[in-house]
Amino acid sequence: MASRICQFMRPLAYSVARKNVLNSIPIVYHKFQVRNNSGAATTTPTKYSTIATRNEAIRQHLTQFGAYVAECLPKYVQKVDVYHHDELEIMIHPDGVIPVLTFLKDHTNAQFMNIVDIAGVDKPSLENRFEIVYMLQSIQFNSRIRVKTYTDELTPIESACSVYPGANWYEREIWDMFGVFFANHPDLRRILTDYGFEGHPFRKDFPLSGYVEVRYDDEVKRVVVEPLELAQEFRKFEANTPWETFPSHRQLEGKYQKTTKPEEKK
Amino acid sequence: MAGVHKLTTGLTGLPVARHPHKTLKVLYSRILAYINKMPSDAGYRKHTEQITNQRLHLVNSETDVQKLEEKINCGQIEEVIKQAERELTLARKMLEWKPWEPLVGQAPPNQWKWPLA
Repeated sequence: MASRICQFMRPLAYSVARKNVLNSIPIVYHKFQVRNNSGAATTTPTKYSTIATRNEAIRQHLTQFGAYVAECLPKYVQKVDVYHHDELEIMIHPDGVIPVLTFLKDHTNAQFMNIVDIAGVDKPSLENRFEIVYMLQSIQFNSRIRVKTYTDELTPIESACSVYPGANWYEREIWDMFGVFFANHPDLRRILTDYGFEGHPFRKDFPLSGYVEVRYDDEVKRVVVEPLELAQEFRKFEANTPWETFPSHRQLEGKYQKTTKPEEKK
Repeated sequence: MAGVHKLTTGLTGLPVARHPHKTLKVLYSRILAYINKMPSDAGYRKHTEQITNQRLHLVNSETDVQKLEEKINCGQIEEVIKQAERELTLARKMLEWKPWEPLVGQAPPNQWKWPLA
């Protein structure tokens, strides 16, 4: 019924709009109205943008803060970069997780008191395949920061729970999904997967369908877990897109240099 | 509540400070004592010394708490005390960690390259 009403209404609304009837109806846009001295309202045309715009002031501010962190902690900071206009990232050596996070939390000029999330990234082609990303927020200065470090399947990473108690479940999630071991974690158990689950599902070499399937067996009157059997063999899909995915990161011969390195200590 | 310029901070778990000047002076002098043990060219020492000295100077020069809050411009005086406490624990730990030393290890090649392909 509703669609039928729409069918009738749409041409009607269209014709109304074309006759400029709507323009004559006074609509007040409080934000974009500028009143001049005579009291009459003049609307200034405003451009709406659906994508984030580049703000040089913010970008410069973040670059400076990144250099500040690199200067304070030259032992651990490997690289500092501002991604996508206003996202500051600090790449650190895995030994420096606790010092860097404590510095960002407790230093007067940082005060990143909130841990927003900890994420994992799997890059199987690399020597250290797992990337751990800590996302922090500073309420005092209304800003966010990302701290990135790396590890492999066997090397444990120091747990951030002593700095941020909220990191507890995030680290359990990383342990569950990627199998990254966190040293000195108070309670490192699986958190998302089912009882008796084996494997780490967010690893790139974990099959999409999993290894086992679960069904209720009427004869034994319980849920049984069996090895997965697919009716059709797994087909390899050619998933490469024909379009250029990262035009702004196009690699010219030997000219790939977009990032800014932290200042070397003299 | 004599000598206290407000009834509440409006923040849960943060009572109004009775003697903010005294507390802050003690905290800042302790921070500076820890920081003096660091090498003089350490970035952390330089910056923290600057912040602490600046705030200590303001605390010494301004007696009115509200005006002091405005001059420091980093929240209420109770929050400033909290910040100083955190800075103190950090300075203590920093002496142990020695973050002014050279980089412990470079990242393996391509570790921070993006996009990877």
